[in-house]
Amino acid sequence: MSPVTRTAAGLTSLTVAAALLAGCTSTAPAAQGPGDGGPITVNATDTACEVSTTQAPAGNVTFRITNAGSKVTEFYLYATGDRIMGEVENIGPGLSRDLIVEVPDGGTYTTACKPGMSGDGIRAPFTVTGSAQRATDTNAELAAATAGYLRYVSSQSDALVTKTSEFAAAVSARDVAKAKTLFPVARTYYERIEPIAESFGDLDPKLDGREDDERDPGVAWTGFHRLEKDLWIDGLKADSPQIAATLVTDTKDLQGRIPGLKLTSAELANGAKSLLDEVATGKITGEEDRYSHTDLWDFQANVEGSQAAVAALRPVIDQKDPALGPLLDQRFEAVDTLLQGYRVGDGYKLYTQLTPEDTKKMAAAVDALAEPVSKVAGTVTA
Amino acid sequence: MLGNALIGLREGLEAALVVAILVAFLVRTGRRSELPRVWAGVALAVAVSVGVTLGLTLTQQALTFQAQEALGGSLSIIAVGFVTWMIFWMRSHGRTLSRELEGALDRAVSMGPWAVVVMAALAVGREGLETAIFFFAAAQAAGETAGPLVGFLIGIAVAVALAYGIYRGALKIDLGRFFTVTGFLLIFVAAGILAYGVHDLQEAGLLPGLNTLAFDVSDVVPADSWYGTLLKGIFNFSPQTTVLQAVVWSLYVVVVLALFLRPARRRTPAATGA
Repeated sequence: MSPVTRTAAGLTSLTVAAALLAGCTSTAPAAQGPGDGGPITVNATDTACEVSTTQAPAGNVTFRITNAGSKVTEFYLYATGDRIMGEVENIGPGLSRDLIVEVPDGGTYTTACKPGMSGDGIRAPFTVTGSAQRATDTNAELAAATAGYLRYVSSQSDALVTKTSEFAAAVSARDVAKAKTLFPVARTYYERIEPIAESFGDLDPKLDGREDDERDPGVAWTGFHRLEKDLWIDGLKADSPQIAATLVTDTKDLQGRIPGLKLTSAELANGAKSLLDEVATGKITGEEDRYSHTDLWDFQANVEGSQAAVAALRPVIDQKDPALGPLLDQRFEAVDTLLQGYRVGDGYKLYTQLTPEDTKKMAAAVDALAEPVSKVAGTVTA
Repeated sequence: MLGNALIGLREGLEAALVVAILVAFLVRTGRRSELPRVWAGVALAVAVSVGVTLGLTLTQQALTFQAQEALGGSLSIIAVGFVTWMIFWMRSHGRTLSRELEGALDRAVSMGPWAVVVMAALAVGREGLETAIFFFAAAQAAGETAGPLVGFLIGIAVAVALAYGIYRGALKIDLGRFFTVTGFLLIFVAAGILAYGVHDLQEAGLLPGLNTLAFDVSDVVPADSWYGTLLKGIFNFSPQTTVLQAVVWSLYVVVVLALFLRPARRRTPAATGA
């Protein structure tokens, strides 16, 4: 080949190679910004960095940076630990430059302008919501999770009505021994779904109020604990059957409100956490069942309710944080093992039979469980 | 105005310096016939940069940050390979010159034609995409204010003038010294390009240690000062240098300088380093 043809042939192949190289690197279509469908505008000056919005959905985020200052500036989007998600350099005075960043995961990021191309820049937090590719799947899964959990709540409330009716019948029949046996059993169904019951602010005090709770003038003390005091301390009174009948009515009221319940995944996850807080602040101290000392039945029910809420969310948890699920399993297991050690027949040891050492161990196990459970809400909504 | 001019100067110097030395070398060694290859390489780089920029703009696409950094970083590191090769090519060529043997000379530059085109293309194209995108942004702004575009073009013009000055200077100095001086200069230029490429790859997250700085002299040498611009444009010196950049730069300089300065074997042309 002559030098000229060689050169021509070579040039052609080089051009093709360069075009291919440019072609295979990833490109991104200019993304729609929030609201008006344009990019997020950044007005950069020598002393300020005004980002038009501090929030964008996951996916391709487009910034249009205009340098209104006198110094050359740069614009960065950082992830945690100053990992650069995207940057655009050489934004001369009077120029506008676009930056398209692929942000697949929601979370907190940082925007920064660097007038003079040095230093840490003028920073501000920037929130990215949702998860790009997984958003729809996740929403569907979260919806499935809350629906599944509501079925659980519904079945527990049915059992609550049934068992409370049995308990009330025993009270009406003045069968103290039977009533005492049924008391912690009926309460189990209530304690499992306590956060739901508590969300109906008017019902919880009627069902689960303590003697020393504040009540409006003229409102009598009713519910489980009033009957508990009658059974274990004062003996059944003339109005005990009537209190029992009211208790049944109130549980039916609760049952009737379940189908219309709307629940978000965050509420569900927070419910799992608040059940454990119940244990830590109430059951561990023995204040709740202060006459019967059947606190461990409630303890077990709270933990089971928490576990049911977490189980409903498990597919989403596994998708978003593979390490969290196994940790939760392990901590629930530890609490369960500890509780099994206090089993007596069908029930549990009474609170008065526990040593300070026992309650300390339980408190530690519940705290250890509450720690990963408290992360669930953030994980599923991330 | 000044800010944009300095950007033009920096980007222009990065591209023009190697080309100026290459041209000077070809002229000094009486190979003017190779010059079209240089311009072909430059034209190719410009065409690809502009083509890609226009293509992306017209299709409302933009290179993602990772793609841009990975491309710039890889091209820089490939460019280092070619510049290194050029250093040793010139060195061996300088030796054979004194013997005035056409055959030996041809053997020494048998890789020549291709290398010349690619080298020129890489020298210009390495940062060509960034420059083209910048130019496009400046042109867009020209609707409102011509300042940025004018500033940028002035910067480019100054860079070309400086490169031309280097070329004229290279033509004047003693031939023996020419090879030593340009060789030295190119070693430091190449080391800078290498460090720059490493930094790009660090920014793209392909290499670690972006925030582990070896030194930070941005107070003394502001990146937007004229001397900061010159240092960056010629030697790719960055006021904030990461440890990995510093290590790579030092290793390159030590190894290549040692090879470059090792005494020649007598009576035989040295093998060309690649």
